[in-house]
Amino acid sequence: GKNEYDLLVIGGGSGGLACAKEAAQLGRKVAVLDYVDPSPQGTTWGLGGTCVNVGCIPKKLMHQAALLGSALKDAQHYGWNIAQPVHHTWSVMAQAVQNYVKSLNWGHRVQLQDKKVKYFNMKGSFADPHTVRGLTKAGKETIVSADNIVIATGGRPKFPTHIAGALQYGITSDDLFWLKESPGKTLPSFNLYVSLECAGFLTGIGLDTAVMMRSIPLRGFDQASMEYLQMASLVTEHMESYGTKFLKRCFPTKVEKLESNRLQVTWKNTDLGTEETDSFDTVMWAVGRAPDTKTLNLETVGVKTNSETGKIIVDASEATSVPHIYAIGDITEGRPELTPTAIAAGKLLAQRLFGRSAELMDYDNVPTTVFTPLEYGCVGLSEEAAVQRHGSDNIEVFHAYYKPLEFTVAERDATQCYMKMVCLREREQRILGLHFIGPNAGEVIQGFALGIKCGATYPQLMKTVGIHPTCAEEVTKLHITKRSGLDATVTGC
Amino acid sequence: MGWEETQVRGYDEFVRTAQRYHGRPIFALFCGDKDAEGRSWCPDCVTAEPVVRKELHNLPDESVFIYCLVGDRAYWKDPNNEFRRNLKLTGVPTLLKYGTPQKLVEEECFKAELVRMLFTED
Repeated sequence: GKNEYDLLVIGGGSGGLACAKEAAQLGRKVAVLDYVDPSPQGTTWGLGGTCVNVGCIPKKLMHQAALLGSALKDAQHYGWNIAQPVHHTWSVMAQAVQNYVKSLNWGHRVQLQDKKVKYFNMKGSFADPHTVRGLTKAGKETIVSADNIVIATGGRPKFPTHIAGALQYGITSDDLFWLKESPGKTLPSFNLYVSLECAGFLTGIGLDTAVMMRSIPLRGFDQASMEYLQMASLVTEHMESYGTKFLKRCFPTKVEKLESNRLQVTWKNTDLGTEETDSFDTVMWAVGRAPDTKTLNLETVGVKTNSETGKIIVDASEATSVPHIYAIGDITEGRPELTPTAIAAGKLLAQRLFGRSAELMDYDNVPTTVFTPLEYGCVGLSEEAAVQRHGSDNIEVFHAYYKPLEFTVAERDATQCYMKMVCLREREQRILGLHFIGPNAGEVIQGFALGIKCGATYPQLMKTVGIHPTCAEEVTKLHITKRSGLDATVTGC
Repeated sequence: MGWEETQVRGYDEFVRTAQRYHGRPIFALFCGDKDAEGRSWCPDCVTAEPVVRKELHNLPDESVFIYCLVGDRAYWKDPNNEFRRNLKLTGVPTLLKYGTPQKLVEEECFKAELVRMLFTED
């Protein structure tokens, strides 16, 4: 065609890179634009998007750092001679994590070059439906034209708007993972999974941490279904018992800087109707993520966005309101904000555009995990969503409180280790959803996601032999229903 | 001032030389020792060296290119040799930007565009 490229991808994150590489593999001429606007605190990073730089990867590594701290405490019970208390040095962890992330940036760079994908470290904006203007940090402009354009610019953390000092003195996850020095006494706010995960590992490495929560914990974790009330409170109960302070039903009104350079936070306690203050070294906002569309110039080309969320509206084939312009990943309305779905959607899109495929992305039954100190993994419907969809008479909820074997010798409290499975009550009793709180929840749930995808039923699960001794095997033994009201505590073997 | 090359042999000499040029961008190519006829025991190094040399003119000003012979085949095969242990090298040839995670290993060094990218991009 008359355009320079077959495909131009704006945004070099999980979705964008997957789409670009797939298209290049299909023999197409592909270009990628990636650019990171520094955070208000000045943090910036390399190629790879949120997951690699300020999301999944550093998060999971820091979560692991915290888990190792717990393991060191447990180790004594198992015979190890380790002087207590054990201390953690933030800068050692941070440097190791940051170096690994940088190696991923480089790895992506090499992959793009190797697959002959043209890479521009530039900020893109639409000039017309087939033309994008790219601007370097230094202000140099390049015009790129393509037959097809995929928008995959993702999102960035929001800052609260009505709290004085929030922007000036607070940081977000964008900054937390790149701190060279310890954040010290930290206040992650509010009650989204990001603040819980961060509070979890910060507490785990020994920092004094408090989470401010306006309402229900884990709100907004899954936009498709309602708040996971039960699971969320178990997760936060566990965190509380391990030292994270929760300021429940409170919301901050202002942040001020003290002479000592610490931050004074003032908040309203809606329960007591009082105003309270405390000082912190760091205030981290986790109030949601906003789609990165402001500078794309979408209005010029007519790409429609959701008026409330600002996200790009797409159909089942990831097409926007403008022909030949598509969008994938966090930027899209109604889609999960997850790396694997962005990657899969990107690959399938490339296959539909340039391969001979008609396969659409299946967004149903996407498994996920929150990496709080006691992890919460799930796949399928929440209990609330199942009740809404089928009616409480038509579903059966099996559940169990269990104790991981490893917790016994270590004398660890397993009160919040819990699982529940939501099934249809009629006929084959198809499994609608599985929820697991416990160690390695992500590893446990992954295999069951295949089962749910294949339409597994409760009788089939009961015929599945468990692996012993594991936590996962308790899933195959679920038999106490919520309906029965019986004690759901599992006894040992 | 343009770029300059220096040749070293063995881990200790490499480390001393890298320290001497501290503060300047340092690029290093690690290859297997060469015999009396100037042929390396490492066939991939034989392929990679001319490709790398052809791109040297792309090195940024002030940078140093260290050409390092690691040792004989037996030394290299030892999983505990200092290059593997301390520099985390996994194979020869390795071309890297010292002090960063940016590196090219084995067949990656055969590709001129990747070598150029390593030399010119941040």
